[in-house]
Amino acid sequence: MSHYESPLRKPLILQDKTLHDITEDICRPIEQKPTKLWYAAFTVAAVCLAWWIACVSYTLGTGLGTWGTNKTIGWAWDITNFVWWVGIGHAGTLISAVLLLFRQKWRLSINRSAEAMTIFAVICAASFIVSHMGRPWVAYWPLPLPNQFGSLWVNFNSALVWDVFAISTYFSVSLVFWYTGLIPDFAVLRDRAIAKNLAPWRKSFYSTVSFGWMGTAKNWQRFEEVSLVLAGLSTPLVLSVHTIVSMDFATSIIPGWHTTIFPPYFVAGAIFSGFAMVQTLLIITRKILNLEAYITIYHIDMMNRVIMITGSIVGCAYITEFFIAWYSGVEYESYCFVNRATGAYWWAYWSMMTCNVFSPQIFWSKKARTSVALTFVVSIFVNIGMWFERYVIIVSSLHRDFLPSSWSMHHPTFTEVGIFIGSLGLFFVLFLLFAKFFPVIAMSELKTIVKSSSTQAKKHQKEHGELASSH
Amino acid sequence: MSNNKKYWKSIEDLQDNPEFIKKQMNEFAEPIPFEALTNADAKGDDTSGTNRRDFLKYMGFSVTAASLAACETPVRNVIPYVNKPEEVTPGVASYYASSYYDGNEFASILVKTREGRPIKFEYNEKGSVKGISSRVQASVLSLYDSARLRFATKNNSEIAWDKADAEVTAKLAKSTNIRIVTNTIISPSTKAVVAEFTAKYPSTKHVANDAISYNAIVKANEFCFGKAVIPAYKFDQAQLVISVGADFLGTWLDVPNYSGAYAKNRKPTKENPNMSKLVSFEAIMSLTGANADYRFQTKPSQYGAVLVTLYNEIAKLQGTPALTASVSEYAKEIAALAKELVAAKGKSLVICGANDVNLQKIVNGINVNLGNVGATVDVDNHSNLFQGDDAAFEALIAEMASGKVDAIIINGANPAYTNKAFAAALPKVGLRISTADRADETASLCEYIMPDSNFLESWNDFNPAVGVYALQQPTIQALGKTRQFQDTLLKLAGATKNYYSTIQSTWETTFGANGEGSVTAFWNKALHDGLVLLTPPSGVTTSSCGANCGAGLSEAATKIAGYKGGAWELVMYQKNMGTGTLANNPWLQELPDPISKVCWDNYITMSPVQMKEMGLTTLLEQESKMSVIEISVNGVAMKVPVFPSPGQKANTIGLALGYGRTLAGKVGNNVGVNGYPAVKFENGNYSYLNINTIVGTKEIDKAIVATTQTHQTLMGRHIIHEASLAEFKKDPKAGNEREFLVLKDGKTVEHKTAQEMDLWATPSIPGHERPNHFWNMSLDLNSCTGCGDCVTACNVENNIAVVGKDEIRRGREMHWLRIDRYYSSDSSQETGKAGMIGNYLDMEIASANPSVVFQPVMCQHCNHAPCENVCPVLATTHSSEGLNQMTYNRCVGTRYCANNCPYKVRRFNWFRYTENEKFDYTMLGEVERMVLNPDVTVRTRGVIEKCSMCVQRIQEGKLKAKKESRRPVDGEIKTACQQACSTGAIIFGDNNDTTSAVTKAKADDRMYHLLEELNVQPSVFYQTKIRNNEGTKFFAEAHHEAGHEAHAEGHATEAHATTEHHN
Repeated sequence: MSHYESPLRKPLILQDKTLHDITEDICRPIEQKPTKLWYAAFTVAAVCLAWWIACVSYTLGTGLGTWGTNKTIGWAWDITNFVWWVGIGHAGTLISAVLLLFRQKWRLSINRSAEAMTIFAVICAASFIVSHMGRPWVAYWPLPLPNQFGSLWVNFNSALVWDVFAISTYFSVSLVFWYTGLIPDFAVLRDRAIAKNLAPWRKSFYSTVSFGWMGTAKNWQRFEEVSLVLAGLSTPLVLSVHTIVSMDFATSIIPGWHTTIFPPYFVAGAIFSGFAMVQTLLIITRKILNLEAYITIYHIDMMNRVIMITGSIVGCAYITEFFIAWYSGVEYESYCFVNRATGAYWWAYWSMMTCNVFSPQIFWSKKARTSVALTFVVSIFVNIGMWFERYVIIVSSLHRDFLPSSWSMHHPTFTEVGIFIGSLGLFFVLFLLFAKFFPVIAMSELKTIVKSSSTQAKKHQKEHGELASSH
Repeated sequence: MSNNKKYWKSIEDLQDNPEFIKKQMNEFAEPIPFEALTNADAKGDDTSGTNRRDFLKYMGFSVTAASLAACETPVRNVIPYVNKPEEVTPGVASYYASSYYDGNEFASILVKTREGRPIKFEYNEKGSVKGISSRVQASVLSLYDSARLRFATKNNSEIAWDKADAEVTAKLAKSTNIRIVTNTIISPSTKAVVAEFTAKYPSTKHVANDAISYNAIVKANEFCFGKAVIPAYKFDQAQLVISVGADFLGTWLDVPNYSGAYAKNRKPTKENPNMSKLVSFEAIMSLTGANADYRFQTKPSQYGAVLVTLYNEIAKLQGTPALTASVSEYAKEIAALAKELVAAKGKSLVICGANDVNLQKIVNGINVNLGNVGATVDVDNHSNLFQGDDAAFEALIAEMASGKVDAIIINGANPAYTNKAFAAALPKVGLRISTADRADETASLCEYIMPDSNFLESWNDFNPAVGVYALQQPTIQALGKTRQFQDTLLKLAGATKNYYSTIQSTWETTFGANGEGSVTAFWNKALHDGLVLLTPPSGVTTSSCGANCGAGLSEAATKIAGYKGGAWELVMYQKNMGTGTLANNPWLQELPDPISKVCWDNYITMSPVQMKEMGLTTLLEQESKMSVIEISVNGVAMKVPVFPSPGQKANTIGLALGYGRTLAGKVGNNVGVNGYPAVKFENGNYSYLNINTIVGTKEIDKAIVATTQTHQTLMGRHIIHEASLAEFKKDPKAGNEREFLVLKDGKTVEHKTAQEMDLWATPSIPGHERPNHFWNMSLDLNSCTGCGDCVTACNVENNIAVVGKDEIRRGREMHWLRIDRYYSSDSSQETGKAGMIGNYLDMEIASANPSVVFQPVMCQHCNHAPCENVCPVLATTHSSEGLNQMTYNRCVGTRYCANNCPYKVRRFNWFRYTENEKFDYTMLGEVERMVLNPDVTVRTRGVIEKCSMCVQRIQEGKLKAKKESRRPVDGEIKTACQQACSTGAIIFGDNNDTTSAVTKAKADDRMYHLLEELNVQPSVFYQTKIRNNEGTKFFAEAHHEAGHEAHAEGHATEAHATTEHHN
């Protein structure tokens, strides 16, 4: 544990937390009974989840006719939600992997929750992949499995197959990465459960999940190595997953989809939306679990910068699309973009523009960046805006493509809306369970950046004019 | 022999052991230790018995075992024939020549049967019509209609036929005024049967009643030519056709005959770049108007004025006396038309759709003066259809109302539905017998229903036109206890012979052996062919008007001059549904109207401009309901939704008949509004035009009207390639010109085609190899009238699910083949002045009198198919014969292919249509689903489907050829759509066969691919649309002052631009 103190930087953790304080602060919510607020939130989320189960069951039982999609618009809320959830997942990986490689220590307060968010978001996303299928009971067919159907293989030309690979790789790597980080913390919980003689299930549960972690030097060395390797593996995934998701559209021929700008544009959008979701979640979490000392204004500031930059990249992409639509001289594409901004879905387009491009510009001001309330509002805006972005890309492109005879409109049904809101329920149920039973901050790692000893020494020096004797 | 031998089973038996003897009485020597066996308690306590726990265990096991056994898929036995009928080979279709006649339409057909079930009709090659109408095709489902009665009824309860016959015969014997009401009988044998019945009951009178009457034509012909007939119109010999409200390409008279003949003159080629011209005067946008080269919006009250003006203009040119003038707003155009007509003497045709004898007399006058009678109008070799006499029917109603009629037998017609007065008078008749196949509006008012068999279960003969005789033969045993009408009449007449023998004797009397050696040989041949064409038909003798013609025409013209329209005028017309007889047919209900593309409804058609003025909804959108208004005709108020119809004459509305059935069956009941009460008996005929309609201007309600096409215009896109005939004559590639790029230095270069810019194709590897066949299809936009018969054929052939109004509204029709209909718009990006965005909005608005194009679109079988490379599981692939194939059982239903299809022809199974109660149409009922084609997989929920180019037919044709060790002959394999198309707009064939028709069509200058620029390289291609509306003087005159004829030529281009052109 490094006790090196940068003379320039402010401490990342406030309130002079000692190593023991960190353990206590982070383990307390896990070892205590949940608060009323937690129960309230969990109830709401569970009701939404029940709704999700009901709507998904109805869809699976009756058919996709229960949705509002039609002969022209084959995808609407389903794939919008899928891309939205996958995008949200990106921040987690970026924070844990890319920032690890760049030695951004501030990530340590938020990486655990962000990674959990990734996992749950990908679960939600995957649920849309399955439920949007006409025959979800054969959802495993896009996997290249040896089979009894003859020499039947998947179509490696199809972006959807790449998607299956990308999402499943992403999910497994993220899960392993997340879990590896959890092991030392689970061991702490295990040891505390034994020491404090807490409920037997705690002992056995945390013993099992901590894989016999002893905290030896060898343990730590392996831990560090695995983390670095996984970080190296995850980093390309940050770029690849959404690149491939964007190829679902970019490799098609539909005007509005057939765009080479999509991969970088989608990756930027994913990071953008992911950070917004991290903000939303952490602003709530730090409040509920009293973690203000760990998730500080500094973190919020840093993440707001990322949001502002990626939001501007996305804005550039929107404008570029329009330029190319005009410059290409392709009448279908020109019309597609004129129609996008002024046609039947103008409201979706301008919601997107307002939320994604205009609202983050407020973060040029430091005052705005460091305002928790404003950050929360903007993060919600960005979440909404990024949902609309996908809706605009998918629906407004499909609804008026080549032959005007097939032009159509999409009207979501109760079921379709229910599945989306229900997926939020699924996500929050998982997240609340995580917040209750898992350490929401990577405490073992966090301890590497505490400055408590030096701060105390400085304080002692200030007060007594001499260095404190060790006692 | 003494019986001393002793047989024994065991030593104990031999010894007569008393204990053994005692035990021997029991089945088992020792009691079986059930208790021990069943006792789980291992302590060996034999007396404890089965305890509660064990009982529960055994019960649990038994119940589980029983339920598991019950979970097995129910076994549906396929029972093979014990004695296989000679003509039935399982898996091989048998075809029987037969006929279809429902009172409105006659068709000579081949009935395709599989394993004894009739499943589809095709046209009979022997007949003159090389296509088959939607109504005839869809009627196969009537056989399997569960609304059909399965037995005779008396007051709605079953009665045995014997008893019914006895009762009715007894009552008839007492009757003094018997009437038989049918639709027009064209069957010689049925006429004989009616005569036999009349002989038995001399008070009998037969009254024919057509649901939609053409009686005025008959009357006018009787007056002018002394022949009370519908003439044969020879559209193939007419170079100039003037239609005044006669939708001869849609529903007027004998459409399949007319459209095929008409299309013969609409196929210009490089060698013979000529085509006929069609001019239409009409109020509503009909199929004829949509196909017309010139269309003049005319109020119904002005039809007479148009005809009289035309008559007078011709008279002026020919120097004959004029009639009392009626002023038409198109006087100048008509004057120009008259010149063309006179120039095309004997090669033109003027027809009128009004059932008004005054107008029809003028039409006859015009045709006589133009020398068309005897040439394009053949009164001698006339049609026998539509012989219903309106006045006679009115007289019958009066008789019935007065209580004079004491017995009535109704067959075929449903007058209680089409005529309110009849419905009111019917209960006053003592004995009411209906032979309807279901308890329809008329039958339900009758005491006895003696249900007629379906035509596929019956014998009949027909004489639809002079010299044409046809036979109808049963192709299936009657499904219920029904009896065909003619047999019922014979039975009631006390005859011992049946109808079959009546037909045979009629034919024997009429034809004898007819040059076939023996009567039996001729009969067999006739039955095999289904059709007998007498050669030569009696000659054409009538070409001039009778002596009293002149006076009659003057009188008619004077009457016409008195026609004054009110504020609103109503046109009653027919849609795909026809007269309403087939209202319970889901295929017809779901066939989009050719013009409006609306399914499952009728509605008021109105000019969208006027709708906007009145504040009615013009937005077509799945969640947008249409405004309902109230109209009042003849004092009958109706609440009907209003649907915008560009091209509709201002202050006129249209309303389709044949809807609003209340007792048609589960599918057809209460679909739309019954328009028949608006039909009025005036000038001696039923009039389908009401020139004094009260139209409520306020929206009183909202209603959903489901349409398959919500966008009307081409948006300036080069989807339809079209040119005028003059342009075509200059350059056969007109409309297909390659685009030019203007370079910096001002030079122009021809734009490369997408194929030339292809990254993958090289001269050595031009594309995929097609070693055996390369199936291609050509669609001629010029021949296509947009009727939709191909769509029905496709639906019937390919087991396409009917999804109902609510699903249509949501844009989920399953049709593999659709006909896109586009209206021209006045605006474009080049000419518009509203800015780019404003121009686009303007381009969405159809012109006030738009030119219309129809474009059939099915899977284009792209050779670089965008659907194929996006499917994750290879469920859609390309065959080595150029077909884009769909593997249903591999499809996982991501719908990616449908999204990526630029033609949007892929259809997704949103529900399990075969089992979902909501879709009780053709696949759910045990009886209805007998109509399904066993050669085509019925698709399950969650998979994509689309046009397969009738791969089952290709396969059948290939196998047939293979068995005969030859290659398939061009034209031998026909797709269902091609088979149905009476205008020959669809050509299908092998592009590897250098002599095939499709190869020639592909090489034609008119050929183009839809969305060519995408380089998806479709196997389906189109032929440019050529309109014959340029280079004529009269149109130029229409737009310029009279006397400027010298300049007319120079203005042609400008005039052309106003009628045509969206591009």
